[in-house]
Amino acid sequence: MRSVKLHARLLATTLLIVGIGSMAYQVLVQKVPLKESETDPVWVVDAQVSFTARPNQPLKARMFVPPLDSGFTALNESFISNNYGVNVNRENGNRLVTWSARRGAGEETLYYRLMLTPRFAEPAPPPEGGPQFRPSPSLQGAERVAADALLAPIRQHSADIETFISETIKRVNNLENDNVRLLLGGDLRPENRARVVDLLLAVAHIPAEPVHTLQLADNKSQQPELWLRTFNGQDWLYFNPLDGRQGLPEDRLVWWSGEKPLLTLEGGRGSRVSFSVHENEMSALQLAQSLKLQDRNTFIDFTFYELPVPTQQLLKVLIMIPVGVLLVLLIRSLVGMETLGTFTPVLIALAFRETQVIWGVLLFTGITTVGLSVRSYLEHLKLQLLARLSVVLTFVVIMMGVITLLSYKLGLSTGLSVALFPMVILTMVIERVSIVWEERGGPQSLKVAIGTLIAAVLCHFLMVWEQLIYLVFTFPGILLMLAAVMVVMGHYRGYRLMELLRFRAMTEEGN
Amino acid sequence: MFGINTWKALRQRGVMGINQRNGDYVLMYNDRHLYPLVDDKIRTKNLALSAGIRVPEMYGIIDTEQGISTLDHIVETHGDFVIKPAQGAGGDGIMVISDRFEGFYRSSSGRMISPEELEFHISGIISGIYSLGGHRDRALIEYRVRSTDLFDRISIGGVPDVRIIVLKGYPVAAMLRLPTRQSDGKANLHQGAIGVGVDIATGVTLSGTWHNLKIDRHPDTAHPVAGVQIPDWQECLDLAARCYDLTGLGYLGVDLVMDKHKGPMMLELNARPGLNIQIAIDDGLVRRCQIVEKHLEKLGDDAEAEPVARRVALSKQHFAVARLPDQVITTAQ
Repeated sequence: MRSVKLHARLLATTLLIVGIGSMAYQVLVQKVPLKESETDPVWVVDAQVSFTARPNQPLKARMFVPPLDSGFTALNESFISNNYGVNVNRENGNRLVTWSARRGAGEETLYYRLMLTPRFAEPAPPPEGGPQFRPSPSLQGAERVAADALLAPIRQHSADIETFISETIKRVNNLENDNVRLLLGGDLRPENRARVVDLLLAVAHIPAEPVHTLQLADNKSQQPELWLRTFNGQDWLYFNPLDGRQGLPEDRLVWWSGEKPLLTLEGGRGSRVSFSVHENEMSALQLAQSLKLQDRNTFIDFTFYELPVPTQQLLKVLIMIPVGVLLVLLIRSLVGMETLGTFTPVLIALAFRETQVIWGVLLFTGITTVGLSVRSYLEHLKLQLLARLSVVLTFVVIMMGVITLLSYKLGLSTGLSVALFPMVILTMVIERVSIVWEERGGPQSLKVAIGTLIAAVLCHFLMVWEQLIYLVFTFPGILLMLAAVMVVMGHYRGYRLMELLRFRAMTEEGN
Repeated sequence: MFGINTWKALRQRGVMGINQRNGDYVLMYNDRHLYPLVDDKIRTKNLALSAGIRVPEMYGIIDTEQGISTLDHIVETHGDFVIKPAQGAGGDGIMVISDRFEGFYRSSSGRMISPEELEFHISGIISGIYSLGGHRDRALIEYRVRSTDLFDRISIGGVPDVRIIVLKGYPVAAMLRLPTRQSDGKANLHQGAIGVGVDIATGVTLSGTWHNLKIDRHPDTAHPVAGVQIPDWQECLDLAARCYDLTGLGYLGVDLVMDKHKGPMMLELNARPGLNIQIAIDDGLVRRCQIVEKHLEKLGDDAEAEPVARRVALSKQHFAVARLPDQVITTAQ
């Protein structure tokens, strides 16, 4: 016996560990949300391109779009245009969309929309590597002198490429400095400042390239912000050319890199690109499902969410049965309330899904009462058990028919929900209550019937609890944990709550 | 808190709960395949007869509708008899015939029963009205036990019986079950009969239980239930102890009746005896069972060879109550 107990304990522990382990893996590694209502931010970035087309000329608009290789997952990307051909291709690590049309006229507007989420982003691939050296441009005269004059202290105040770049940016942004003013030539726009920084870096043979980024923040319109980046042999280092800040913030999306303009237009003029960003919320589950359609790796691989929706619906009902069974087990072994078997309350709870609880309880009570009344009347006729039960069941079905008909005539739609399944279960319950009545008498069968009803209502509420359904359905490991509890309960030797009352006479308090 | 204190108090007294009975005793000691031996009264009776255990004499069995007509022949030489369903539960379907009059039968309550009515009753038994789950059953016709007059003052209608719980052949607890008006002559505690604890060592009754309460007097006759000496007590214990060897069921409830003329007889066996006996004897079954289990452990492999007499002696030694009632009635008054 002791070895059996140990075995059971080991089994329960194993089940528990496997269950908790699988759930922990899903939560901690796969980042499966614990709540169905959990949402993820989804960014919607709109780029609107507008220009005036020259009449009767071929049109070609080329615009950079984000390369989408790191940091974010694209949910959806769309190019919206009227009568344009759309072509996307890659160029030096950038992506370029080409809208083309044979001829355009008047004001034209093209749209590009990108939906992004930071979730499920695959880790950025190791950079392919960038240039680590570049030849210095030939500068003449005053510019040469100014550049040298600026570089000398920078070189002194820096230790490596990183600090060199920071120092350079700091110096260029010091507009008091005459050398800086000379190099800027009176143009104080950020682009120009970045150009000067780049120039200085080029003189020092340090490779750098401008990157154009967009901030994912809920503001209506913005323009790409210019950053500089350099390759230090392992990673790209990003710098803000205006204040020397290092490191690209998480909410910045690289749109394109290089010095080329965002949009090049042939056959049109007056082009303008405006960006707008806004944030949407999407349930984590929907997100995963829509990504699944794109063959992306999400947490729903090898879960029930891969099943067709009708099968999922069915499984959501089935998977809650062990939860109900466990509840009945606890009610019986811990509380000591008597029910008809273990499965019957769970089945009645399932029937309540279709009839709704209040209607179901009324139906259960009413029809059981009628069924048992017929039974006790037939008892006087000394009918055999089988014949008696058959008559009872026939009357139960007649009752159900009458109820359905009446409620239909009265316009109560719930009556119609007395579907086949609840009927079968009710009939079965009445048969079992009758048998208990035969074997153990009326009061006992009443006690059992009430216990069954209470257990069924409790089971029902537990089994339709959305939050719980989501948990069990998403983390099937929970079923193993339930099984562990059941195994442990199989060796439970303590008193039932009802027994404390029953044997109260044997304690001093009871005397 | 009420619950925790009660829990502790019950544990301390070694009171057995249903979970513990099912897990540690019924599941441990009773092989499932042995249940049919005790579920069918006819099989139990044949088993007992072959082992020489005294049971109410069986007059005949009726197991087919055609067989009903043989009833006349079966009871030809017997003025009184009992008809029982072989697999009935809780005393349902038992008909006691005490006399005959002008071709009619007279029931124990004095009602006149026509032969047709009796045949209809037997037909009901055969079709399974009274059997568990409604299976086809057999009707058993046997000797009508006449209760010893000793219990007249403390029982109403029906025959009192003695329930003895036997663990591995050692009687651990005993109670006398007395019918009441509420139980309708049946000696079943669930149906309202009272249970009176019996001292294993002497066979003297102690206080009683009725509906989970402790009582001292019979609710109908108002006579004290304590202090009645059960006749032939040693024989009762021997009978009960032998039922273990008979069936192989390690945890067994043995029901005995005290016949006025023939002494104690085994009536039926129960593989899942109830727990209310604990209130009757005012002692925990676990406490008592553990004494036996400890003894068995000490014996080791010799445990199976322990003769009945030694087992009964051990029980008497360990389960004697400290204080017997002041007055003990040994003969009917």
